[in-house]
Amino acid sequence: MDLKKLWEKTLSDIELQISKPNFLTWFKNSRPIEKNEQSGTIIIGVSNNFAKEWIQSKYSKMILEIIRNLDPSINKVDYVVLTDSNINKRIYSENKKSDEQQSAGQIGFIEFAADPETNLHPKYCFKNFVVGSSNELAYAAANAVSKEPGKKYNPLFVYGGTGLGKTHLIQAIGNEILKNFKGRIKVKYVPSEKFVNDVVWAIRTKRMDDIKNKYRTVDVLIIDDIQFIGGKERSEEEFFHTFNILYQNNKQIILSSDRPPSQIPTLEDRLRSRFEGGMIADITYPDYEMKLAIIKNKTLEKNIIFPEEVNHIIAVKIQRNIREIEGIINKLFFYKEFKNNELDAKTTEEIINATLQQNMVNINPQMVIKCVSDFFEINPQDITNKSRRKEVVMPRQIVMFLLRDMLGMSYPDIGDKLGKRDHTTAIHSYNKISGKIMSDKNLNQKIVLIKESINKSRS
Amino acid sequence: MNVIVLKNNLKEALSIISGARKESGNLPILKNFLLETQGEKLKLSSTDLEIGINALISAKIIKEGSLVIPYNIFNQIINNLTSERISLEKKDNSLLITSDNYKAKISTVSKEDFPIIPEIKNKKANFCECESDYFIESLSSVVSACQVSDIRPELSGINFWFKNNEIKLAATDSFRLAEKTMSDKKIDFQFEKEFSFIIPLKTASEIIRIFSLKKDEKIKIFFELNQISVESENIKLFSRLIEGKFPEYEFIIPKDFETEAVMDKNDLVGALKLSGSLSNRLNEVKFITDESFKNIRVFSSSQEFGESEYLLPAKIKGTVAKVIFNWRFILDGLKNLKNQSVFIGFNGEEKASLIKSADDPSYVYIVMPIKSS
Repeated sequence: MDLKKLWEKTLSDIELQISKPNFLTWFKNSRPIEKNEQSGTIIIGVSNNFAKEWIQSKYSKMILEIIRNLDPSINKVDYVVLTDSNINKRIYSENKKSDEQQSAGQIGFIEFAADPETNLHPKYCFKNFVVGSSNELAYAAANAVSKEPGKKYNPLFVYGGTGLGKTHLIQAIGNEILKNFKGRIKVKYVPSEKFVNDVVWAIRTKRMDDIKNKYRTVDVLIIDDIQFIGGKERSEEEFFHTFNILYQNNKQIILSSDRPPSQIPTLEDRLRSRFEGGMIADITYPDYEMKLAIIKNKTLEKNIIFPEEVNHIIAVKIQRNIREIEGIINKLFFYKEFKNNELDAKTTEEIINATLQQNMVNINPQMVIKCVSDFFEINPQDITNKSRRKEVVMPRQIVMFLLRDMLGMSYPDIGDKLGKRDHTTAIHSYNKISGKIMSDKNLNQKIVLIKESINKSRS
Repeated sequence: MNVIVLKNNLKEALSIISGARKESGNLPILKNFLLETQGEKLKLSSTDLEIGINALISAKIIKEGSLVIPYNIFNQIINNLTSERISLEKKDNSLLITSDNYKAKISTVSKEDFPIIPEIKNKKANFCECESDYFIESLSSVVSACQVSDIRPELSGINFWFKNNEIKLAATDSFRLAEKTMSDKKIDFQFEKEFSFIIPLKTASEIIRIFSLKKDEKIKIFFELNQISVESENIKLFSRLIEGKFPEYEFIIPKDFETEAVMDKNDLVGALKLSGSLSNRLNEVKFITDESFKNIRVFSSSQEFGESEYLLPAKIKGTVAKVIFNWRFILDGLKNLKNQSVFIGFNGEEKASLIKSADDPSYVYIVMPIKSS
């Protein structure tokens, strides 16, 4: 008879012999932990110290008798206090919502929102992750990893632009593993920035052992935005050893980045080759249908429904960033809620346009030129002068494309800004790049990275 | 059992154990308390299965024994008695209470059903010892930041962090956080390795209530994996600990500030209370540092009643700060500062600000602002 069955039977017997309140108070949440075949001892976990004392002194004889009737090989029962009762966890996630509503305006420590043990945020799960052609592969790999962590696809490396759901996906793996293996597997999620901070702290306070304990004793290590570790030597070194130890012991490692390992510029080769040794999955831009599904999901979470045409406009207007979709939905929701107006196509479009334009405020052509030249490691002046060298031509075309795409500048204006060129040159460049993006994934990736760096330099 | 006790001793012990019983719930026995002789003393115990409290009082023991009786009835009788000496005698299944001009017979409950209050067996490995004043003062200074509800179990208690040569107490409700560092100069302790545990808010409140009456006593704290016991010569409080891990909060305590201001504590308390009387439902009060760097202007307004502005003299460094707070949060932190001179470090309108005594690094209070709408 297996241990769980044995204890269930014992419990139903105990229930007959003692009063209901006593049974509920002392045996609630009790469960068998393990059985030592050799000594014939079984260990029962109980909810708290009071229950342990009480059962030991009042019921232990009765329990032993009942158990021996069921399984004569047992001759001793030990009791321990359970330290991982799942009751608390449940309260935590259920009340999360009311918590957020209470505190309108009052900002909280965002760092505390996650589960302190694993660092995982309970809101990220597979259930609310929308799957489409752009992330199918990553999702399938994530799913496989969550079923058998450490066995398949190790390390799992997920990359893609900002706001496409990398963090969601890798945290969902963590949450799913916790669910599937119920406390038997130790998961840790950490943004690489935190990892670096920890290493710095450990060096300063001479407590490298703490770091080793913290990261090398987990079964699943999830590191977000691993590209930031590049160039930070001590952190890379520490991570390298952590990686090796975990990997050798068949522990699962999950990484995310905004670009594939081969394009993280300052990353050491030995790390790069390790990252490439497992499964690399990318997440690209969602297509129209997928965006629509995401919008519907998000609105459902908030218990609101937008008219179909509104959903359509959002899906068409917001091109690439899912986080932006979320922002727009919040804005529209606010509009609907507080102005008490039904949304129509016109207002929706106005709101979206206002938001998108706001994002572009504070960007000037000089910033675009600087970011592009930084990216290709060329001199900014080369962009505006007459040079026709190959390594300059392409960046120049990209600048023209971006000036048109991001700032909406007129073609003559663009030509004027870039060394008094003709407006037809600008038109040609724009058409060429926008055509190429569709077919050339590599170029697309580059443009995304440049756009992100422009956005970052804005503030 | 047959004993004679002084009324005031009994009253005090009844008050000490009052916090650990349970008037409703599955187990009616928890409405009762246990009265038993222990050597030359009389021991009173109560428990709600989360906390258990024992109190010893001196008594004249004529015959040893023990019994379990309802707390409320017994407490009412003792509180209203006028005579000093009270005789308590068990006869069959009743307790006879006799004084000069009063006698009563109350039925007892079977002692067999009263829960056993656990004890920490290994008292050598992990413990600390200090003056009750210092311990109570330190604990009191952080409880106000604790989360009152059960939304996040790990925040509904006070975190004790034993490290190197200090103990750090911390509490947070995720909007503010208070941390008190107890130094080894005032406290003796021994522990196997650096570790931490969380005591439930209720346990902390009980400790404060019970031991703040007992000035100038040494208290000892023993702890194990999931239990703690706080003991003085005659009182013992046992409690479970909260399961889970307190968030790693060290890195959210800001080290640098955009604006630093030093002001008088009484001025600030006055400003908060005055502004608070005209603030809105969210208790919003706006702080703006003057461009002359000599004043902080404190604004409040309520749609219903009106608005106010208070000019608070301060020494200011850095950029102009403009931050909105819940004034009650600030006041909670200020109450625990001992010195007159208060330091506030602002970090813009969306990041945490820090409050401390200008010359006491052992206590910090950080608070998040309210988003301006």
